[in-house]
Order: sequence, then C-alpha cells, then structure tokens
Amino acid sequence: MNPKKYFVLIIDDHPLIVEAYETALKYYSKHNVNIEFSIHKAHNCDGGRQLIKRVFRLRKKDSIIFLDINLPQSKDGVILSGEDLGLLARKLLPRSKIIVSTTLNNNYRIHSILRSIDPEGFLIKNDLTPLELLHTIQNILKDPPYYSKTVIKLLRSQIVNDFVLDHYDRRILHELSIGTRMKDLPEILPLSPAGIEKRKRNLKHMFNVKKLDDRQLIIKAREKGYI
Amino acid sequence: MNLNRLILFLVFCIPIGLAIPSCVEHSKETIAQFPPSKNDSVTIWIRASKNTSHTLNQRKQFLTKAYHSIKTAQSDPLQLKKLTSIAFQNYKLGDTILFKTRTSEALDLATKHNDSFAMGDAHWNFASYYNQKEVYDRAYYHFNTAAGIFEKNGHNYESAKMQYGMSFIKGRFKDYSGSEVLAFLAIKKFKKLENYEELFSCYNHIGSLQIDIYEYDKALFYFGKAIDNLKKVKNNRDLKDAIINNIGNTYLRKGDYQSALQNFNVLLKNDRLKQNNKKSYARTLDNKAFCKLLMKDTLHVSSSLNEALRIRDSLDNKSGILISKIHLARYYTYAQDNVKAIRVAKEANRLADEIKNSRDYLESLFILANLDPLNSKTYLKRHIEYSDSLQIIERKIQNKFTRIAFETDEYIEETERLEEQKIWILITVLGLILIVILLLSFWIQKSKNKNLLFEYEQQKANEEVYLISLKQQEKLEAEKIKERNRISEELHDGVLGKLFGTRMNLGFLELKGNKNILEQHQEYLNELQTIEKEIRNVSHKLNDNTDSTQVNFSNIIKEVLESKSKLGNFEYSLEIDESINWFQINEVCKINLFRIVQEALHNVLKHAFAKKVTLIFMTDKKNLVLKIKDDGIGYNIHQRHKGIGIKNIESRIKKLNGVLNISSKQSEGTTLTIKIPKK
Repeated sequence: MNPKKYFVLIIDDHPLIVEAYETALKYYSKHNVNIEFSIHKAHNCDGGRQLIKRVFRLRKKDSIIFLDINLPQSKDGVILSGEDLGLLARKLLPRSKIIVSTTLNNNYRIHSILRSIDPEGFLIKNDLTPLELLHTIQNILKDPPYYSKTVIKLLRSQIVNDFVLDHYDRRILHELSIGTRMKDLPEILPLSPAGIEKRKRNLKHMFNVKKLDDRQLIIKAREKGYI
Repeated sequence: MNLNRLILFLVFCIPIGLAIPSCVEHSKETIAQFPPSKNDSVTIWIRASKNTSHTLNQRKQFLTKAYHSIKTAQSDPLQLKKLTSIAFQNYKLGDTILFKTRTSEALDLATKHNDSFAMGDAHWNFASYYNQKEVYDRAYYHFNTAAGIFEKNGHNYESAKMQYGMSFIKGRFKDYSGSEVLAFLAIKKFKKLENYEELFSCYNHIGSLQIDIYEYDKALFYFGKAIDNLKKVKNNRDLKDAIINNIGNTYLRKGDYQSALQNFNVLLKNDRLKQNNKKSYARTLDNKAFCKLLMKDTLHVSSSLNEALRIRDSLDNKSGILISKIHLARYYTYAQDNVKAIRVAKEANRLADEIKNSRDYLESLFILANLDPLNSKTYLKRHIEYSDSLQIIERKIQNKFTRIAFETDEYIEETERLEEQKIWILITVLGLILIVILLLSFWIQKSKNKNLLFEYEQQKANEEVYLISLKQQEKLEAEKIKERNRISEELHDGVLGKLFGTRMNLGFLELKGNKNILEQHQEYLNELQTIEKEIRNVSHKLNDNTDSTQVNFSNIIKEVLESKSKLGNFEYSLEIDESINWFQINEVCKINLFRIVQEALHNVLKHAFAKKVTLIFMTDKKNLVLKIKDDGIGYNIHQRHKGIGIKNIESRIKKLNGVLNISSKQSEGTTLTIKIPKK
C-alpha cells in the first residue's frame, strides 16, 4: 500500500513556529507509516499566495494548509492577512483542509474568521502544546474539524446568547474596543453617523447597558464573547 | 425888567429852604429797624441819645458808651450799622468832629467787610454833613459815590435819594438840565417805590428849576404834580403851605399878580400859619406885601413888610431879614424916599456880604446903583465884577461836578467791566471744568469699555486655548493609543509567536533521559505556556483602549450635574436625546452649553433651594434645545434685575445665535429653555 501523500503548506512569519509544525508533521508521519507529507513553507502573504497558486496549478487535491492570520501583507496590497489567503485557498482549493493557527484571542476576529474561511482546524497558539498539535493533525486527517478550546468556548457562549449581531454590529463593537473614535467610524464603516449611533443604541439595549456608557458596552460585549 | 430879575433872586431861596430837611433826615428809620440783639445795650443807648428829655451832654455820653461797647464787641455787619447810626446821631447833636471820625471809621469797617450798604450809608452821612456846611463839591462827591454804590447793589430808595441830593446841588449851581435829569431819575425810582413824599419833593424841585429858566407854565404844571403826590401823604400841612407859597411866587414872577395874591391869601386866611410856623408866615406876609407893591397897591405894604422883618428879626432868620430889607428898599424906592431906601439897601448889601448870599448881594448893589447916581458907576462895576467872579466860580464847580460824575461813571464802568470780566472768567472756568468732566467721564467710559472688550477677548482667547489644548490632548491620546496598540501587537505577534515556536520545538525535541527529567521538561514547557498567557493578557490590556479618554460631552454634563447635586443636596435627572450627534456639534458650542449648564446649576444652588433638577437636551430639525428645570422657590422675572449668572448665560446664548426663555413663578420653580440653531 502506497502511503498517502499530503501536500502541506505552512504559512507563518515565525520561522520557529514553522519549524515546530514541521517537526510535528515529521513526527506524525514517522509514527504513521502510510502517511507522508510534502511540506512547503511561506513567511508572508506573497509567498503564501504563490504556494496556493502552485498547488492549484499542480492540482493537488489533498492539501493541508497551516495558516497564520497575522502576516505581512502582500506587496501589491491585495492580500492583507492570512484571512485573505484563506479565502483564496478556499476558492482555488476547495478540498484543501485549512488549519488557522493564530495568536489571536479576539472573539470578534475569531468569529469573523470562522464565518469567512470556515476552517477545518482552528488553533489558538496559546492553547497549543506539542501533544495537541499532533492531535490536531490526526483529527484533521481523519475527521475534521478540530478547534482549540478557546474557540469552542467562544462558540458555546455565543450559542447561549440569543443576540443577533450582524457583521456591522460586531465591527462597531470591535472598533470601539480598540479605541476608535465615533467620529472616525463613518470613515471606516460604510454607514452614516446616525446609522452608527442607532446601531450602538441597539447594542446597548441588547447588552442591557446604560445609555451613556460605551465602556460598559465594551466590557459586556467582551464578556459575551463578541469581541 | 429889573424887577423881574429881582424876583428871580427872591424866589430862589424858597425851594432850598424846603428841600434840605428832606434829604438829610434819613437815618431815623434805619435805627428804629434794629432788631433787639444780645448787644441790646447799644441800641438802648442810641435810643436814649435820641430822647430829648436828657441833656445834650448826657446824650453825647450815651453815644460814647454805645460806641465803646461796639468797639469792644466783635465786629460784625450789625455793629457796623449801629456805628453809622451813632455817627449820625453825633451829627444831629452837633458834634461834627466826632461825627467825622465815627463816619470815617464806619467807612473803613464797611470797606473791610465789603458791606456795600454801610459804605453807601457812610458816604451819605458825609454828603449830608458837607451839604450842611455848604461845601457843595465835597457833598456832591459823596452823594455821587453813595449813589453809585446804592445803585450797584439795588438799594433803589437810597440811590434815588442820592440822585435827588445831587440834583439839588446841581440846581443850586445853575446846571438846570443836569439837575432835571437827575431829578427825573430819582422820580422813576420813587414811583416804583410809591414814595409820594419824595415824589413831591422831586416835582417841587423840578418846578423850582423851571422858574429859574423862566418856564413858568411848566413850573406850575410840576407844582400841580407835586400837589397830586402830596395828597397821598399824611401830615402834609407844612408841605402844602410851602407848595402854595411856591405857586404864589411862580404867579408873581410870571406877572400874574392876581393869582399870586390869591395863593398868598389862601395861606394867610387862617391863623394857623401865624401861630405854628412863624418863619413861613413871615415869608408869606412879605411875599404878599411885595406882590401888592408890584401891583402898585401900597395899602398896608409898608406895615406888612415891616411886620415880616420884625418876625424874621425875632427868629434871627438872616436870609429872611435880607429879603425883607431888599423888599423894603424896593418899597422906599417906589415911595421915592431915597434916603431910607439907600440906608436899607446898604444894610441889605452888608448882610448879604456877611452871609455870603451872592444873589442878594448883587441885587442890593443893583438897587444902590439905581438909587445913588453919584456912586452908580462904582456899584455897577462891583456888580459886574462880582457877578463875573460868581459865574466863574459856578462854572468851575459845574466842571468839578462833571468831573466827579465822569470819574464815578468811569469807576462804575470799570467795575462793570471787571464784573463782566469776572462773569466771563467764571463762565469760561465752568465751561472748562464741564469739558474736563465730560472728557474724564468719556475717558473712564472708554477705558471701561476697553477693559470689558479686553476681558471678553481674553475669555475668547482662553476658550480658544482650551479648544486647542483639547485637540492637542486628543491627538496625544490618539498617539498614545496607537503606541499602546503597537506595543500590544508587538508582544502578541512577535514575542508571543517566538515563544510559542520555541515551546513547540522544545516539545518535539526527543529528549533522552530518565522519567524525572522528562517530567521536568514537560513542566517547563507548561511554565512557558503560562508565560505566554501572561504576555497575552498584558497585550490584551494594552489593547483595551475603550473610548475612556475621549471627552464625552454627555459624561461631562452628567459629572457637573452630579457634583452640583451633591453640593445642593438635590436629586437630578438627565435626559439626552439619543439622536443628538455630539460629534457634529462644534466644540465652541459645546463649551458654551457646558458653561451655561454650569452657570444655571450655580444659580439653582445659590437661589432656588430646589429638591429636584431636570436637565433635558432635545433636538428638532433646526435647533438644539436645552431645558433646565428646577422645583425651587422661583422668582418674579419682571421685578428682579438680572444677575451676573443670567447675563452670562444670555451673552453666551447670543454668541451662539440662540434664544433664551425664562419662565418662573413664585414657589413653583424656574425653567430655562434655550434654543440654539444647529449649524
């Protein structure tokens, strides 16, 4: 029986991490003889895109992509982060298995990545241990998905809440949480100032926060796992 | 013709005899008017000196006592008047030397005190004195000075009296027109004062003047006027007798002997004259006899003339005797008894020389020249010489009068000029002071305005500075956030990533060792993970930049409200319309709104004693509406004047082109409604 060969793309700007993934993969194939990995590495968005395109051209169906989110953006400015790369991969390689691996623990971002990329694996680097990484690889190969504990917790908290927050609501909360000014928001979001105010008012109402207190809103939203 | 001239001289003396007393006896009333004062003794002594029951010496002593008591007392205007009256009393008692010294003293004192009336009075005293002494030029001088002083100070009666005196003296020296002018001036004043006795004297004097210039009809007219005035005077019998005598004389001179005789007869008809006024009686008798002589009716003429002479002799009336003798000489001439005529005429001539009656002296010389053909030439020569010298003297004196009058006029003019100058200076000074005051107040106003403007601009500048610093702070804050984000990101992406990679790699290292060492390795790995977590948390916190530093208007308002509510112990409620977009409202507007709220709350705190304050921010299409409502004691908007707080609020609202509406009722609280247009 020929061992099954997987085309693995590791896109991360930290060489150490890349190395760690590589070690883990080798370790796994060493212990599972019928599985082989062909490992390709990229350290930024440009490299990532090239890799994805190459895999697309090679028509490799069974590919695994380790994708970091915080990546130096591409030189032409089209690919801004790992998220965009994920989207590209989803488009070009629909059957590839994407493992988002990030240091992010920002609920909003996690949520939006879950929604946009719908990755097979979602690793929060802080949760990760060598053992868990091996575990992830196993799960991905056999029966995806595999989510880090943090992600699972987030999903759970959101399922408990019956709030319906759309993309813009989340964005507003996110922007507020990072200290963006209300007056700058209309430039960031395709919304009118009045519209933003209205959404904010709704959010406060939903989170049961007093009208004047933006800070309280943010705290509450974070508590509920929206940020 | 000779006869006419004779009559002329004869008549002249009569009005003089009448006029003198009325111009000298003036100070009587002044003394009587003194109010009783603490120096009553002085008044009493003066009164005692008037009492004829005391001997002359006693009366003089009284005056001396009065004088000394005045001297020892403090000098004041009242004492001054008393001094003049003492002087006059001395004069009346015939002590002319004392009179002169006292009057001089009074004059000095009056000049010192600048008491114009007393000065005039003193001059009047001198004038009367010199008039009596027949030193007419001096008398005229004093009359003139006194008249000037009285005139200037509005003492009309006294000045009229002075003018009458001057008129009299001028008449005496044949300046008829001058005399008439002065008399009419006096008449004008007396008419105003309705002093009929003085008017009588004046008209009588003018009438006499008319006789002197042969205007007999005019003279009769004025005498008529004099009589009209006399009718309004009580106790006028003597004066009436005198005027009738004067009228008789006028007719006599006019040649209307019949009418003259009628008048004399009226006087002689009753015995009253004979008994009461022998002098007057003798005069009338003499005149009547002379009148008859002129009518060539010699019956009883001689006896009448001699009777008059006898009476006059007994009275020692020298001028009367002189006239009688001249009339007798006339009679003897007519009776062609030349010896007697010459004798009587020579006697008259001597007497005239003795009493210095130039007119009668000339008359007697004329008669003698006619009677004594041998010595006629000498008499005529003497007559001519004497009348020439007389004329020269009269002319000189007239000139002197003119000079005195001129000097006085000049003096008056000068004082008037000075007075005018004074007034002008005063007006100029007042004007200047006014201008200075105006300028000063203008300047003060201007500097006040300047200050206000300066304050206003400073306030504006302050607000601008505040705005700028606010913006600066915002920028700084933004930079801070940016930097924190950067650090956070660095930690998160860089350090954390590297740590993670290291940890993972360490984990995959196939370490060989005993179980203990492997466990320890695992523990360190776990430790590393914990460190990662901590760093992540730090990064998180750094990243947690909720809009806490941003100046949130609503929060500021709330803070103010809260702090004031604690101070004033009142509840508050704040309602802010959510649709207000504070970011679209400019900072100046917000600052002013904030200040308005502050000011209004301050007012509530100070005056309203409210339990609850409600602050509402609303908005409609055009305006931002702020309502500040309290349930305090309220006030009457119309009665109380605006305080600084409300004024400040008003000026701020004005700056924002807004409208302020205050509604308040006693004990129902106050509501401020402020509308500010959105821009």
